[in-house]
Amino acid sequence: MIDLLVIGEGLSGLMAAYHAARAGLSVRVIGKGLGALHWDAGTIDLLGYLPGAHDSLRCPMKQLGLLDPAHPYHLLGEATLAAALAQFVALTAELGLPYSPAVVAGENSLLSSPLGAARPVFLAPAAQQGGDLGSSAPMVVVGFKGLRDFYPALIAENLNKLGYPARAAFLPYQLLSGRRDANTVHLAHELDAPARRAKLAAALKKLLEPGERIGLPAILGIDDHPAALVHLEQIVQAPIFEIPTLPPSVPGIRLVKSLRQHLLQLGVRVEAGMEAIGFETNGGNNIQWVETETSARPLKHRAKSYLLATGGILGGGFDSDHTGRVWEVVFDLPLTIPQQRSHWFRPQFLEATGQPVFRGGVPVNRRFQPVRPSGEPVYANLWAAGGTLAGADPIRERSLTGIAVATGFAAAQQIATSHALT
Amino acid sequence: MFTESWLSVGPSLDDCIKCNICSSYCPVAAVTDLFPGPKYVGPQAQRFRENGQPHSPDHSVDYCSGCRVCNEVCPTGVKIAELNARARAQIVADQGISLRNRLLGRNELLGKVGSIAPSLANFGLHNPVSRVLADKVMGIAKEAPLPHWSRNGTFGSWIKRTGDQRLRSDRKVVYYHGCATMYYEPFIGKAAVAVLEHNGFEVIVPPQNCCGLPMLSNGEFKAARNYHEGNIQKLTGYAREGLAIVGTSTSCTLTLKEEAPELLDMHSEEANTLKMAVWDIFEWLRELYQAGELRSDFHRIDMVLPYHAPCQYRAHRVGKPAMEILMLIPGIDLRESHARCCGIAGTYGYKVEKYQIGMDVGEELFGFVREQGDAVEMTACDSETCRWQLEHGTGLPSRHPIEILAAAYGLYDLEARALVGS
Repeated sequence: MIDLLVIGEGLSGLMAAYHAARAGLSVRVIGKGLGALHWDAGTIDLLGYLPGAHDSLRCPMKQLGLLDPAHPYHLLGEATLAAALAQFVALTAELGLPYSPAVVAGENSLLSSPLGAARPVFLAPAAQQGGDLGSSAPMVVVGFKGLRDFYPALIAENLNKLGYPARAAFLPYQLLSGRRDANTVHLAHELDAPARRAKLAAALKKLLEPGERIGLPAILGIDDHPAALVHLEQIVQAPIFEIPTLPPSVPGIRLVKSLRQHLLQLGVRVEAGMEAIGFETNGGNNIQWVETETSARPLKHRAKSYLLATGGILGGGFDSDHTGRVWEVVFDLPLTIPQQRSHWFRPQFLEATGQPVFRGGVPVNRRFQPVRPSGEPVYANLWAAGGTLAGADPIRERSLTGIAVATGFAAAQQIATSHALT
Repeated sequence: MFTESWLSVGPSLDDCIKCNICSSYCPVAAVTDLFPGPKYVGPQAQRFRENGQPHSPDHSVDYCSGCRVCNEVCPTGVKIAELNARARAQIVADQGISLRNRLLGRNELLGKVGSIAPSLANFGLHNPVSRVLADKVMGIAKEAPLPHWSRNGTFGSWIKRTGDQRLRSDRKVVYYHGCATMYYEPFIGKAAVAVLEHNGFEVIVPPQNCCGLPMLSNGEFKAARNYHEGNIQKLTGYAREGLAIVGTSTSCTLTLKEEAPELLDMHSEEANTLKMAVWDIFEWLRELYQAGELRSDFHRIDMVLPYHAPCQYRAHRVGKPAMEILMLIPGIDLRESHARCCGIAGTYGYKVEKYQIGMDVGEELFGFVREQGDAVEMTACDSETCRWQLEHGTGLPSRHPIEILAAAYGLYDLEARALVGS
């Protein structure tokens, strides 16, 4: 029997698996499908906005005290949060996909969103750091005619409205691919080839004006990405950065790919296509196995401990019906989400304080164990992490990946401690 | 008409959130413009195929290989491969079927006819003149790795001939051999029988017929229904007695479990009883192992062994049980392939217009095998057509994991592909 079964292969599940494996536990990760990182910008967003606030935060670590007491960051405490982020930075450096703060450590930087909005980011992969809006260097945002998921004119126009100097430029799509139509992942594979990059670089050099930096859609290679960026900059002789695209999102996929490869080296199998549909207890509060759906009979997965990392409404961790009842899909855990449809939303669509349905989730204690309203752990060997947790509104706060990295780390620590005690 | 299967498959398109994960992982869309990707031909095109709109918007769905990687990675559980299979059947129903696809669907008939005079049949099929003819006239690619009829008799004739030597035991298991073992590779069946008997089981080989998969994937649903009805008649009695029905052909067992009932709308009590009794042989051996009942008197086999779990195996959603068992054998340095598909996808890669697509898809797997170095003498893979494609693409022999296991028990000669002492 393995020590830990992680259910969900998004960022929180993968991070928890990594830390648990590093602590010496035998771990397996299962997921219904691939995780939400595939449509994520690939940055670590710690905390961009406080509830009700219009302006983004500059120093998120100093503002944690203003969050709701039930917020996962409160449960973690500042020291654990800082340790989780430091470990993430160290890990990504080891993976060859280094993340770091854009300019000033401890502060959010502003990077362009795929629509040209300024998004507050705490840790960014190397390829996105050159897009820091705090720098005054003008940008040329380069798109490709016929590429569906990237709109440079819109980006430049919106950045200009915010006061950032930017212009749009276009290159022929044929520079990227001989294919009639391809998505961003296919194009990124094309740019793994040095010859293709050299052609692109030559064209970029021609349209560059003095002093400009170049913003490209996030397609600069997948398997050979770090080399691709260096290669392009060497030829063009100007700073180049990536702006995330509409899904599928290559920066998120790069992170998933390298994390999965690393987990495999640590002996952790990550299997997709396995949907958890049930579980069994020993009659008391110990989970004995979790069942996944197969082509015939359910498959039992036995582990000493279980981590729920299936995400929230977006990730598929919760389901609902027409009456407004919302439930957690694997263990039917208690939720803090309003169970009546009329209580899900406030009157305003873009309500600054967010919508109640998105702030709810699985309540946990300080050990990241799901609890009943009484505060008792629901199951003695169950933990939870990531988007499934109650007390945060991750999309509104821009804290989804920050919570995933931090709570994945914290839950794994707690699980490792509990195994050391028994 | 809202049939039951329309209800189980069709509405799943509403779960599509357009994340494009399927299009990013689809091995076919990665290599050709002829297939625009699972999202387009599946959930998107399905909106034009509903009641009163029987026609598919275009024929690109014919380029879906049916590998089911899309289902595996989909985070929301859309039954994309099934949508595509049904759309193909609709095209066949509307427009008829080519002689080639009709022939390729009749694996069993071809097997029977060729087995009357296998040497003659092999010569007839495999000489260069007839391959060119088949290519030009029929559209069966002249390079494609077609099988050879067994020249040492069928599996059926062997089991009859050796009936009095078979183990008798209170512990019984039913063996579903499928057409490929019956007519082309009887040694796979011999290895399976040897392994099962070595573990103390009496092996029952009842009359059975083709699972119908080649017809399902070529859109001939009506004819496939007859096959599945035949198998229900012949096999359900054993299932009722509580016997497990194990198979060495992963696509056959998947069809008996899931594909036939779901695509053909066959959800009777009998069909369900059969479904629940069918196992891939290693899925079943793993249960035996977990119960502590699998014999472990393995001989050492020193070799580097690249192993590819075929996509139809992964579609069972039971993990990789063959790999788990092979790893128990001392001396085997098992290298796990993470390639998506070998490209043959049943009969897909045999077709002249799809042969090169199949080879381009398979390159991911062939490249993986090459990377394992010169020490590699053979590969392992559970599916027959995938093994033939692997041999074609790498130039190395390929074996079913059951052959490796039989060899580890000292019962089987991997080189001669024959039982020891026969």
